[in-house]
Amino acid sequence: MTRADFLVAMLALGMLPLLYNRYWEEPVEGEDAEIMAGDDKKLKVSLNTNRRLNIEGPLGTSVLEVQDSRIRFVSSPCRGKQCIHSGWLQNTGDFAACLPNHISVTVRGNNRHYDAINF
Amino acid sequence: MSSDARQITINPTREDYRIAWLTALAITIHIVESALPSPVPGIKPGLANVITIVVLLMYGWPTAAWVAMLRVVVGSLVIGTFLTPTFVLSFSGAVASITVLGIGSLLPGKGLGPIGYSLLAAMAHMATQFTVAYLLFIPHPGLFKLLPVLMTASVVFGIVSGLVVSAIMNRIR
Repeated sequence: MTRADFLVAMLALGMLPLLYNRYWEEPVEGEDAEIMAGDDKKLKVSLNTNRRLNIEGPLGTSVLEVQDSRIRFVSSPCRGKQCIHSGWLQNTGDFAACLPNHISVTVRGNNRHYDAINF
Repeated sequence: MSSDARQITINPTREDYRIAWLTALAITIHIVESALPSPVPGIKPGLANVITIVVLLMYGWPTAAWVAMLRVVVGSLVIGTFLTPTFVLSFSGAVASITVLGIGSLLPGKGLGPIGYSLLAAMAHMATQFTVAYLLFIPHPGLFKLLPVLMTASVVFGIVSGLVVSAIMNRIR
């Protein structure tokens, strides 16, 4: 290995952490939340205003809370309470759902992100 | 006798034969490698570039450039990807790595060895393919999440093929 080889290898290895740092950065905070109830009811809620939302589902009323640019399930008439355990949703792409009550929430940002890219 | 019947003779030089043989070798590796499954799209060892580096070290840059470019064009004709997006990526990657190798071979003193050359070539190849893929095929910011992973792969495979090159050079010297 020549000195130039060593230099190239060091630069290459040094570049990698910078790349990870640059492109696997902090997730983007969402702008608004998209709430789906049932098969067809769609609701877009801004995360800027603090408020409580009562969403009707087949089991009853689920309560969602918007606070400090975050959203969460406060209560839901389901058994598992998975939706409530999901906690606060804040970043673009965050998702929680109460499947028994047919309600889901997705946080959206300015630039829409995909769940997955397949090619 | 009419001039239509004139016979054209091509007198290949030693250099032409050498390029042809080495290109044939590179194409063979290229084809075998295209049959290997890849865990992640966009990542493959790039073993055909081993030949490019060996040629560069033994016969110099012009021969290496010929071998690399012919390999991409003829290889794509054989596999059936000529002028497809795959070919565009392959071609741009080859142009980038041969350019970087050209610049690298201008270094004064002892210059670069197998590992430096193949690292540079692998990274230039990957970075260019990524840029082309982003600009032409998938212009989505989400693609950048893949960049660190792809560059890591290129560094790893660059070092690995560099080791293969130095093993080959030790054998044939």
